[in-house]
Amino acid sequence: MTPRLAPPTPEMFTSRLRSPAVTARVGLWLGIAFGLCFVTGLISHYAQQPSHPIPFPTSPSWGYRLTQGLHVTSGVAAIPLLLVKLWSVLPKLFEGLPLRDPRALLLTGLERASITVLVAASIFQLATGLFNAAQWYPWTTFSFRTTHYAIAWVAIGALVLHIAVKLPIIRDALTSDIEVVTHDRATATSPGPLSRRALVRTTFAAAGVAVLATAGSTVPWLRRVSVFAVRTGEGPGGVPINKSARAARVEESAMSPDWRLDVVVGGTTTSLTYADLRAMPQHTVDLPIACVEGWSAQGTWSGVRLADVLRLAGATTDREVAVTSLQQAGAFRRTTLPANFAADDRTLLALDLSGEQLSLDHGFPCRLIAPNRPGVLQTKWVSRLEVDA
Amino acid sequence: MRTRLLIGACGAVIALYGAFLELSRQDAGQWLEVGIWFGAGVAGHDAALSALVIGVCLLGSRLLPEPWRAPATIALVVWGTVTVVAVPVLTRAGARADNATLLDRPYLATWWAISAIVVVLVAVAGLVRSRRPRARE
Repeated sequence: MTPRLAPPTPEMFTSRLRSPAVTARVGLWLGIAFGLCFVTGLISHYAQQPSHPIPFPTSPSWGYRLTQGLHVTSGVAAIPLLLVKLWSVLPKLFEGLPLRDPRALLLTGLERASITVLVAASIFQLATGLFNAAQWYPWTTFSFRTTHYAIAWVAIGALVLHIAVKLPIIRDALTSDIEVVTHDRATATSPGPLSRRALVRTTFAAAGVAVLATAGSTVPWLRRVSVFAVRTGEGPGGVPINKSARAARVEESAMSPDWRLDVVVGGTTTSLTYADLRAMPQHTVDLPIACVEGWSAQGTWSGVRLADVLRLAGATTDREVAVTSLQQAGAFRRTTLPANFAADDRTLLALDLSGEQLSLDHGFPCRLIAPNRPGVLQTKWVSRLEVDA
Repeated sequence: MRTRLLIGACGAVIALYGAFLELSRQDAGQWLEVGIWFGAGVAGHDAALSALVIGVCLLGSRLLPEPWRAPATIALVVWGTVTVVAVPVLTRAGARADNATLLDRPYLATWWAISAIVVVLVAVAGLVRSRRPRARE
């Protein structure tokens, strides 16, 4: 028993659980989770664009709630899957390079590089996504939205490349019994505490537990079991808050008696007071707030139809509307509401939530609420609407 | 083989498109930070977390009698990965004094309670297994 300080070699890993039979089965579901996360991420990114070459639909009103809930949930499920999958292939990290054969060296080098990119991009996406969902932004320079979107393409591209390289082994492993050792390393023979089947099932169970422990932020009936959910779902009017009035620095301007809603139609401004809005026909709709961070909640909103306000100011409802908040800073201070959303009867400037006057943190005096729209674009503390004549 | 080459080439093009997006929409200082995150993520997993797991498994295989190993392994996989998922809520790093609707659960206390329950479950499961005749595999 002399202590060795040599670098590890693949031969030192003897558990037969570290087998391509396990990797392929966990990897299949990891790939499915990544695919779902990628597609729902693209939908979210598109929904947040200021203009849509192909109109983003206003129905179903819960569409974005579903896709963004799936985005965050599939990302959470991917974390246990990725950790176990990486565990199962760890010996490969210590494989030597074929230094004597230039062609093999090049191919191996390229494959190793692509896997490094895949692992780095995967960890980056899951970590930044997980942090963002808990409103934790430990990065200082890069834009989360731009970078999370760009690196998603890197991760999914590297994944497709990886699948192409490994396809024969994947196919073989998935069509043979899990105990078959064809692709195992020669030294991977020691039995380990679990069977391979038990390890794979445990991994799926871990992914399931991770989802149950967090998904209550968006699935109301899971609230009691989601002990690690970022939000209980409680809040004024039964709806949580993302950005408070204090954080947005609008406490004074929102409470000011001088507040007016300016509706600018081709250069002509109509100023409406809070009492003017209250005097207009009031409508009530049940619509979800579905945040990009994955939480969502259904609310009963009452207020005036946006289309009514636009018509009152002399605008037609076939144009996009620029919606400006009292917020003085922030990327979403001014948002663009596409024409199909502006024309939808369910799109309100809400004055009440759950039968009570909108709380300051929910956007008092009035906020935008539209169907099937990312929460970050449901502008609070609205002060100005602009439409081209 | 040709199909695989085609799929692989598509993958490479998609990944390069992502790199192009990042490089064209962010500046050099921002790439640098993304690079640091890439490196830290890989190092954090491949060096720190992997070494920790190897150490725990080695310790477990030396210290735990056979009947407790399978329950302990199952517990480690589920508890360990769920703990990783819970890191942002356990640290409460994103909590804000002006928003009571955010991070509004007793996360750390729950985590301790769950951890204690897991230990008890593993202990009981091992005890049950150790009293069973060893006929099954």
